Amino acid sequence: MADILLEPARLDYTPQMLPEPEVSFAAHPEHKHYLNHEYGLLSWLLTVDHKRIGLMYLVSVSIFFMFGGIAAGLVRTNLITPTGAILELDQYNKAFTAHGTIMLFLFLIPVIPGVLGNFLVPMMIGAKDMAFPKLNLASYYVWVSGALFFVWQLMVGGLDTGWTLYPPYSSKYSHTNVLYAGLGIFITGFSSILTALNIIATVHKMRCPGMTWGRLPLFVWAMYATSVIQLLGTPVLAVTVVMLAVERLAGVGIFDPNLGGDPILFQHMFWFYSHPAVYIMILPGMGVINEVLTCFARKNIFGYKAVAWSSVGIAVVGFLVWGHHMFLAGQGYYLAMVFALLTMLVAVPSAIKVFNWTATLYGGSITFQAPMLFALGFIILFTIGGVTGLFLGTLGTDIHLHDTYFVIAHFHYTMVGGMMFAWQAGLHFWWPKMTGKMYSDFWSRLAAIVMLVGFALTFLPQFAVGYLGMPRRYPNYPPEFQIYNVLSTAAAYVQGIGYIMPIFYLGASLFFGKSAGNNPFKATGLEWQTSSPPSPHNFESTPEVYFGPYEYAVADGLKIVPLNDGKVRDIKHEDPDLVSSHEPAKEATHGS
Amino acid sequence: MFAFMETPPFLPEQASEFSKEYDVLFWYITGVSALGAGVVYSLLIYCCFAFAKKEGVAPKRILGSNKLEFLWTIIPLMFFLSFFVWGVRQYDVAINPPPEAYDREYTVVGKQWMWKVQHPTGHREINEITLQEGVAVRITGTSEDVIHDFGIPAFRSKFDVVPGRYTSAWFKPIKPGTYHLFCDQYCGQGHSQMVGKVHVLSQENYAAWLEGIYRVRDGKNPVDGSPAWEGRKLFLKLQCLNCHNRESESRAPTLEAIHKSKRALQGGSTVVADDTYLRNSIRNPMKEVRDGWKPIMPAYTRAQVTEEELLNVISYLKSLKPGDLPSRTESSPAPVGAPNVPDPPVSPIPAPTTGGAR
Repeated sequence: MADILLEPARLDYTPQMLPEPEVSFAAHPEHKHYLNHEYGLLSWLLTVDHKRIGLMYLVSVSIFFMFGGIAAGLVRTNLITPTGAILELDQYNKAFTAHGTIMLFLFLIPVIPGVLGNFLVPMMIGAKDMAFPKLNLASYYVWVSGALFFVWQLMVGGLDTGWTLYPPYSSKYSHTNVLYAGLGIFITGFSSILTALNIIATVHKMRCPGMTWGRLPLFVWAMYATSVIQLLGTPVLAVTVVMLAVERLAGVGIFDPNLGGDPILFQHMFWFYSHPAVYIMILPGMGVINEVLTCFARKNIFGYKAVAWSSVGIAVVGFLVWGHHMFLAGQGYYLAMVFALLTMLVAVPSAIKVFNWTATLYGGSITFQAPMLFALGFIILFTIGGVTGLFLGTLGTDIHLHDTYFVIAHFHYTMVGGMMFAWQAGLHFWWPKMTGKMYSDFWSRLAAIVMLVGFALTFLPQFAVGYLGMPRRYPNYPPEFQIYNVLSTAAAYVQGIGYIMPIFYLGASLFFGKSAGNNPFKATGLEWQTSSPPSPHNFESTPEVYFGPYEYAVADGLKIVPLNDGKVRDIKHEDPDLVSSHEPAKEATHGS
Repeated sequence: MFAFMETPPFLPEQASEFSKEYDVLFWYITGVSALGAGVVYSLLIYCCFAFAKKEGVAPKRILGSNKLEFLWTIIPLMFFLSFFVWGVRQYDVAINPPPEAYDREYTVVGKQWMWKVQHPTGHREINEITLQEGVAVRITGTSEDVIHDFGIPAFRSKFDVVPGRYTSAWFKPIKPGTYHLFCDQYCGQGHSQMVGKVHVLSQENYAAWLEGIYRVRDGKNPVDGSPAWEGRKLFLKLQCLNCHNRESESRAPTLEAIHKSKRALQGGSTVVADDTYLRNSIRNPMKEVRDGWKPIMPAYTRAQVTEEELLNVISYLKSLKPGDLPSRTESSPAPVGAPNVPDPPVSPIPAPTTGGAR
């Protein structure tokens, strides 16, 4: 019986047991990290450091999230009364369009790839930076310039087409700023493509010695799958927007039937991008959940391969289901059938992930800090978001629910309940790594609970009112629907308070927060094995990896007995030879 | 008038044959989903309590289980495929009308922001559709401008109305009552005003309705084809109702029972609202301004309203009795109805061969 022998491994699994060096600005003024190794505005604006670029994304997307949130507040407040409480019809249409476009193109799509992807992917694979650091900076500026078109569009009167931009309304009948918004979508799309390219190249070429594909953290797998979708899907959106602009500017008949075009063509092209885009939004979130759950349950992920390949499965099959947005739009019968079948297939990998996450908790040693609460909130809400998608993917039931509040509730449960909670989980999980500071435990847990309760109660009534038939994008509605809308709006305010809270306690942590130490959550990922905040080049020396991620049981002192004689230099993730001394037989030999 | 009395208000009315079948599948999926979510939630709660951190208890090292992965791939997949198969069957029912429905073919034309419905009998309705209980009908639609969607929640029926092509649906109403008609596809400013009513009448009432005897609404309404009926269409289209309505009397007087009434004018004089007064109030509203209101009524020139049309509008105003004016709220909404493109010269609906009743 020998203790675990990981002799040359540089992964320190027990950082808290050693007297940890205090890392703070005051105590160790000589500690140079990525935040203080150079100063001045230009050192930020011209930086090629992936960590600084990640922080720049963080600031930008947070500002846009606030704008999108304000628009949502206007929409919900207006719906308190059946005839519109505060807005005229046009204003309401512009408010919900602003909410949709900002939240999708300027928050949900860039948030995790831009912030956490930039910050973490190189560190998780043991690299100094992205494969193309200058391209990385360029993609940020491309994104900002695209975002400026959205801002400009809002300032000169807004857009009223809905984020879906369906012609012929958008190409001919809308008198609002379709072209500016289109330009914004076009340009931010290029930013997506560049970021995706960078991440794919980084994952392929920059992995440190020993970081094989089978040892990649699942967040990296998710980012990789996301990037593939972005790279393949976004150009189609760009083409679609150009065609729309050509029709609007020059009157070339592409979508408008009066000019010989076909409006359904637009929907095919739009959803060819925009359905995979919902996976662009949710996959990185799922990646975050893997990291957070394993850390706070102190467990290996249950079924590493199943989780990794389900991301890839979602990415591939996700490209083939766009037609389920158009069951009632007049597409062919057999086409609709094929799309419905593929939709049922794409639901399976998501279900697999949920079951694997739940199983990951089994046998753990769970603590409930804020990131874990957000992650649990994710599972709770995403499950509802997932199963309600089945109603919409089933041909028969979609007929009645199409374009009602049921759809609104469904995708908010996945996009906000899923992605937003994953984003909060990730932000809270890696905040000490990014800033070196710890936030208030009490306030962060409270915020998680307020957001969860507020969110669930905002959108549950919308399922009910959607089933009753209330159509989406209605500022005025029949009075018998009022009770549901009032409930929803009241809970939306609670939710809004939840989103404001992190601004205060995270902001306060920057100034008053305790030094977090290098690895406050005792996590096993490579990014935690360096100082907090990390040095400009992440690691003092290139790390080497000897086994897969999430060996929390080992990190927590589980004794591992190598049955074959000799040193354990290479713990294969599925190594059947590893038997824990606590669990002599069954569990640990369940190698997949 | 809402038939919500009989079903619980949190469930939508089942007013067509299809809606009953639909709800069976809906609740089947709901049941399976609740079961699935229940399993996940119970395990989640169990794990959170059973495996919360305890001193001296180390976490186990569990890597996974192919057996379990297989199980929770196959079991959900089987359920999902059952949804798919059942859903296809139902979709098949929804898009393939029974043969007798082809004998009762309605047409509907959507335009920003109203529904124009024509019956096989030649009757025409705006934002309303009157159907006979127990008779399957097919409805074919198209749009004059943007994409709309003709949705009737109580029938669980919905189809996009697309410019440049015909789409259709069918339904067999089984329960007399009045139900909502919504536009479900965003179509611009007046999207939420592009709503209406579906009236399902029993056989006797429907026959009486065809004769113009039975009315689907309170109050007296102009009859299809009459000058007042044409005037009513104009009244909606010109957006008169935006100010002249019962809900917001601050901007303009309601026009109910205006004909032959005495009107106090600014300056203290009084006139009787005869045809000429009504005409002047539209062509040159500044001439005689009603006491108590601001002179904000725009003048409608001959370019906007021809003499013929003006006669129709005036006949409509003369026909208005208290309670006749359509309500602007959603309980019985009126369309905004102002097209932002010129009306096409020829309506796609053919002129009725048999005129309206009476």
